[in-house]
Order: sequence, then structure tokens, then C-alpha cells
Amino acid sequence: MIEDIRCPICGSKTTIPTSKKGPNIGGQFHVCTRYPECKGKVAVESQNGNIVQAADFSERTYTSMAIQASGLVKRYSEEVLAVDGVDLNIEANTVYALLGPNGAGKTTTILILTTLLQPTSGSASVVGLDVVRKASDVRRRIGVTFQEMILDVELTGRQVLDYHGRFYGMKKAQRKAKISELLALVELEEAANRRVSTYSGGMKRRLELARGLMTEPEVLFLDEPTLGLDPQNRASIWDYLRNLKEQRGLTLLLTTHYMDEAEHLADRVGIIDQGHIVVEGTPRELIEQMGSDSIRIAGQGDGEKFIEEVRSLSFVQTVTTGDDLIQIGIDSGNKRLPEIVSVANNCGFVIEDISVTKPSLSDVFLKYTGRQLRDK
Amino acid sequence: MSAVMTLWGKHMQKLRIHPEEAFGMVIQSVLWVVLFGIGMKSLLGVTVGGGDAYMTFMVPGIVALTAMTAAVGGGLVWLTERIMGIVKEYLAAPIPRISILGGNALSIITKTLFQSIIILVLGVLIGATGNLDPLGWLGGIVLLTVYGLGFAGIALAFASKTNDPGSYHMVIFLFTLPLLFLSNALYPLESLPKWMEICARLNPTTYAVDGMRQTFMDSSVASSGGDYIALWICFVVLAAFAVICMSLAYFVFKRSIR
Repeated sequence: MIEDIRCPICGSKTTIPTSKKGPNIGGQFHVCTRYPECKGKVAVESQNGNIVQAADFSERTYTSMAIQASGLVKRYSEEVLAVDGVDLNIEANTVYALLGPNGAGKTTTILILTTLLQPTSGSASVVGLDVVRKASDVRRRIGVTFQEMILDVELTGRQVLDYHGRFYGMKKAQRKAKISELLALVELEEAANRRVSTYSGGMKRRLELARGLMTEPEVLFLDEPTLGLDPQNRASIWDYLRNLKEQRGLTLLLTTHYMDEAEHLADRVGIIDQGHIVVEGTPRELIEQMGSDSIRIAGQGDGEKFIEEVRSLSFVQTVTTGDDLIQIGIDSGNKRLPEIVSVANNCGFVIEDISVTKPSLSDVFLKYTGRQLRDK
Repeated sequence: MSAVMTLWGKHMQKLRIHPEEAFGMVIQSVLWVVLFGIGMKSLLGVTVGGGDAYMTFMVPGIVALTAMTAAVGGGLVWLTERIMGIVKEYLAAPIPRISILGGNALSIITKTLFQSIIILVLGVLIGATGNLDPLGWLGGIVLLTVYGLGFAGIALAFASKTNDPGSYHMVIFLFTLPLLFLSNALYPLESLPKWMEICARLNPTTYAVDGMRQTFMDSSVASSGGDYIALWICFVVLAAFAVICMSLAYFVFKRSIR
């Protein structure tokens, strides 16, 4: 126990017993509730329930973290290292997308965070609760949809939701009210009494979404929520997800290998490759660092000399290469195109394909992994 | 406990959706009772003069076969849920792991008892002499439950291990017929060659059948002439069988969900 901690915002001295826990926060932070002028915004950092130091969590950075992970590692066998040191800090009421190719460790990360898999090392907490030691409490407060569709197709949509609620100990009246609310949300009212085997892929996904929300989770995990859906159904799932965050104050962690999905939905994106997060930020931050336009060139010849020349041009912001593709971040693509082409000619680099695009997350992905993330 | 009941309720609901699954299994036993029973009855009716006595002797054996088939077949529900990934929904829920096993065992036992009782009633209708003491039936149901739990354990252990419904069906055949023939279900223990008698005495089915002859049936009619195995021994042996098999199931189940 540390006595006489000075509150970094209000400046007053306070003594906080080690056992005191902040509202809704669990073990990680202790909120200064003693001085009303702090309004719960001041936190005292703690480790394992022992207060270590008072820290200045300014208004912006301090909201309770919905998901935290540090140094998560999951090794399935000698050769298979699925997750290799993932760190996450996801604020409450945000949509966070883990973007990466198949096999990058997205699903394994989700399985660890949802308590279905134990990490080999490292630690993680969801709504402040350790996912290994407090697994049962974590389960009570989260919702999950898995990558594969997991539905008892013999049951009706209504029964699927009802049994799910019963597993979480919901009372009958509570279940009934929640089911009709959610069926309306995902627009499955008319199909509710039909067997799930008669549903289309999009309807099944919507039902799974409703099931994930059935128990009013604080954090919803969605592993590839639109995998295998046609564009129309994807768009409607996106709409539901966007509304969820706005209307219910949910925290969403979704994984995807669709760039546009991450760009459309996420407040923050973490690009994950080969088991660790290579870069993280808001989609805008990530894209803006690529320059305002992007020129993509494929060709043959002395690529290295060409890249060197291009790099020395004053208006070029970034040059990345990978998969036989050269990508140049630039202030204005249309204006600089002739200059780039003439540099190529001077270097003896034969351009086979050239295009000017607005940079997207796929350019970011290329930059950090040296590979293209194929959308389809 | 509520999770066990929820899972049980869900399985019962599925049974109502697909009643043919349960009845398909009963039909096999019905054929045993009707065809084999009546055939033997007419054969023995001529030679020994104890047709109804053989029915009374044989019906517990067929009930045991029914219970065994139902219990082992009941593991398919769990296997299907595992293969389809539905188990993930349970694992992500805030319920004790053991309640998943418990719910499965309970639904298997329910089906087992249901099918066994059908065969019992049918057997009495076509000639077996039932016990008039309801306490006897109660004891018989306890015996059947414990016997069924043992096979439910084997079924759940196997269903936690394999990923292939085809090999699962193989196991059902593998189990049922030898366990039926290497027991006292169809012929008296004393009439068997020594090696078969030893096998039969190691077979839990023998204890279930002998116990059921003393509880469901009129024990004086069901007798084959030799002494019965004492009822308490039947209970103890079957209870041990159930405990061992369910422990095995729990062990394999725990490993399968890791």
C-alpha cells in the first residue's frame, strides 16, 4: 500500500487502499474517487492489486481499456508459432480491426482474448479481467462470433437465440424481450420461426450477430464477420456494426483480411503479419503517411537505380517495393506522373504498368510487410 | 446445473425434430424381440414346453442390447456438435466445462431409458412375465441407468476423440453384438463353455441382464435353472463400470476441449 499519493490532476493528497477497485475497471487501474473534482478521470496504476504509482491519465488517454494484451505468444508446436508477441490497448467504445492475411495470427489472438485458448506466454485482459485467471467472468461479459458459421441448423432462428440466452442464465421474460429486439435489429423477424437450414449465408451471419449481442456484452469479438458474403450482404453487416457502436457504446474487435472493411468500419486498425502487429493507428493516420497520392509501377530493368533516383526527388514522400511492384507516395499523382516516367526512361527501366491511385490500407500493408494483401 | 438442463432441453428438442433417429434404433430391438423371440418361443415351445419362460428369460437381454445401442449411439449428438463447431458456443459461455459432459450424459440416459422401456413393455405384451412389484421396476430402472451411464461414458470418450462419424458407426457394431453374445443374455451362463463363461463374467452386460431378470421380470419364471448373481453384486459391478467409463469420458473430454 502506498500512502499519500498526490492526485496528478487535482493535486490533493490521497490514500488509496490497495483493495479499492475502480468502477467497472477491475485490477488494472484504480480510479481516484475520493476527490469529486477528479470525476473519476484520475487513475492510479497498479500491478496485481498493489499500487505502484499515480499516473497522469489525461482526459483523452484515460478511458478504461476494454482490451489489453501484452506480449501475447501462442506456440502450437516447435514449428508453429501462431502469435508472436502481440500487444493491444483498445479503448472502450471503439471499433478496432485486426487486419492481416490468412495465417497472420488473427484468429488465434481472438481465441486467446475470448478465453478459448491459453496463451503460451504473455497476458491479456478484457474489461479489466485477466483472460486466464478470470476466464469465467470474461465469458459473461463478452460476445463472440467465430470465423466459421456455427449454428444448429435444425433449430429455428428464435430457438438459437433462446438457447444461447439460457446458457447465460437469462430469465424467460428477459430472453423474450431481447430476442424480439434483436430480430428487429438484424431484420430476421419474418424468418425467426423457420429452421436455420433454410437461411441464406447473409441471414445466418445476421443471426450469429444477434446471438453475439443476446447477452448484452460489453465487448463483441467478430472473427471475419463478412467472410464469404456477397457485397450486398457485406454492406448490410457493416451498417449493423456501425450502428452498434454508435447506439450501444459497445467495443468491437474484428478481424478481417478485407482492406475496405477495415477502412470503412474501424476507428483504429492494427496490421498483423506473422504473429505480430507491425503498425497501428487510425485508418486516416496510416493512409496519410503514404502521401496524398500513390503511383504504382510494374516494369523491368534496373529497378534499384530507378528507386534510388525516385527517392531523391523532393516531392516523393515514400517508396516501397514488394511483389515486383514499386509504389511511390507523392504529393500529387497526376502532376508528377510525367516526371516519374522520364526518370524511369533515363534509368533504362521499362514501365509495363503504371497507375495513379489514392493510397489505401493495402498500400500501408505493402509498406510494412513487403507483400500485397490480396483482397479476394 | 441449469446449463446441464439447457443442453438436455436442446437435445430433446432435436429429438422431437428428428424422431425417426430414435425410432430407427428401437426398430432393431423390436425385431429381436418379435422375430427372434417368437421363433425361439415356438422352437422351445415344442421341445421344452416353456415358451413364455424363454421370453421372460430373453427380454432382459434384448433390453440390455437396446440400452447399449441407444447409449453408444447417443454419443453421435456430441460428435456432431463437435464436428460442426457448435461446441465453441458452449465453451465461450460462462458455464462449467463439466456441465457440457453432464448435459450430454443426461440426454443419452433419457433416450436409453425411453427406448428400453418400450422394449420391456413390448416384451411383456408378447409373453414375458413381468414383475408385479413396482419396487422391482424401480430397481430395474436404476440398474438400466447405471448400465447406460457406463456405455454413455464409452460413447462420449470416443466421440471426444474421433472426428469421423463413419468410424463411430463401426464402433457401435463392434460393441453391441459381441457384448450381447458373450453374455448371459440369450443363453444361461451354466450352459456355456468355460472360456465363454469367463468372458461373460467379465462383461457388464451379464450383470445388467441378470439384475433385470430379478427386477423387471418375475424372477422365478426368468430363471434358467441356475443361481442368479446376487442383486447387490450386479449393482456394485455396474456402478463401478459407470464410474470408470464416465471418468474416462471426462479425461478424454477435457483433453479434447483444450
